[in-house]
Amino acid sequence: MELTNIDFDQLFGMSDDSNPLMMLIWILPIILFVFYGQRIQLYVTSGEIKKALKKLDGYKVDSRSELIIYLKKNLKLDDDPTEKIDKFLEYFTIMPVDMDPNGIVDKVRHTVRMREDYTREHIKLLSSQINDLELTKVQTLLEIASSLQMIYKIVNHMFLTAKKQNNYPLILPLQMLLPFIMEQAEAMSKSIPAFKTGQPIGDGIGPMVVGKIMLDCEKETIAFQTILAKTDFDGRKLFFIKAEGPGSTVGRPAEALETIVSNSEIDAIIMVDAALKMEGEESASIACGFGAAIGGIGTERFQIEEIATQKNIPIFSIVVKQSVKEAITLMTKQIAEKSNDVTSQIYEMIKENTKQGQSIVIIGVGNTSGVPQ
Amino acid sequence: MIFSKKKIIIAYTIEKCSKCGMLKKREFIDGDCLFSELSKCNSCDGTSIIEKIFGEELES
Repeated sequence: MELTNIDFDQLFGMSDDSNPLMMLIWILPIILFVFYGQRIQLYVTSGEIKKALKKLDGYKVDSRSELIIYLKKNLKLDDDPTEKIDKFLEYFTIMPVDMDPNGIVDKVRHTVRMREDYTREHIKLLSSQINDLELTKVQTLLEIASSLQMIYKIVNHMFLTAKKQNNYPLILPLQMLLPFIMEQAEAMSKSIPAFKTGQPIGDGIGPMVVGKIMLDCEKETIAFQTILAKTDFDGRKLFFIKAEGPGSTVGRPAEALETIVSNSEIDAIIMVDAALKMEGEESASIACGFGAAIGGIGTERFQIEEIATQKNIPIFSIVVKQSVKEAITLMTKQIAEKSNDVTSQIYEMIKENTKQGQSIVIIGVGNTSGVPQ
Repeated sequence: MIFSKKKIIIAYTIEKCSKCGMLKKREFIDGDCLFSELSKCNSCDGTSIIEKIFGEELES
């Protein structure tokens, strides 16, 4: 058989529009995609989501077992914690109704604090000899495991619903959100070793800067898990606030500020925090601005803004930019090296925006894991 | 990915002598805590404190 002189034009009918083979080659895929296009896309997308779900399941299982191992290794337990931990992981929080937003912040704060108090009390029941430092660590590890479990459940639910209904548009929002969800979940999973060993995390840059200044000052507890230190600088009175380290907590800076404002006249508030960087922005870059730099669900920020507005106090902010992963995992070298620059920036800001004889509150916002004062 | 290198994060502790300011970098060990006082400085009679704890990425 001669293979060298095959006429491809003739075989595929390129020179003749009536070739039935050529018509089939063109028309069949069109028919296939018109009627089964969405289903094909559903299968392709399903593969990607299945891979992500497998990863999420791994994060969920690992975080649970890491927590149980940590408890067994580091605490004198009264009995086996596995059953209680599994029960904790299933707890949910129902946020207050927001049809009438009046008073919603107080309701949200009450619900969240109730959950925190409940978790704290039940961790204490696991081991009667647990100290405050271990308690905050276990509470954080429990929150991570619980969040990873919830993420897995939600993603799995959305995926299975779309598959069950054979509904491609239903899977689209999940496909679009998945990279962001995976980034968060991966960051949470990788933060576990830092919390277990009591290392500072990226979000701890604010408490780290303020904690270092506080070292030689007299300290007092001003609110739950929140420390105050007073000092003088260039004829001004400074009030430094941070969460009580080295436990893993963010404290209650708004309550602390409320107490200070009710006892002294405050002329400015400076907040130091970590902030999420935008894509393209340099990690560990410092930026200054106005307004309350504080994350979380918004109740603390609301309270700080309320106090500042009522008393007409300006709020200045210094933030250290970082990614989600950098914020909740072990502090990077670049971020740690910026601590002295942030300290200089605080004093510069005080000199530029206040006069001698005035009083300023400086709040180191963030999780103070591994950062004492 | 086939060609991507696995990244490992190593935790380091930076000790700083409060008297002579000498810095010493070593690997993090359990129990290290920021600002805690350590043993005496190697070059003078001052005490070292933990100045920083951070992670550095290594590609393997």
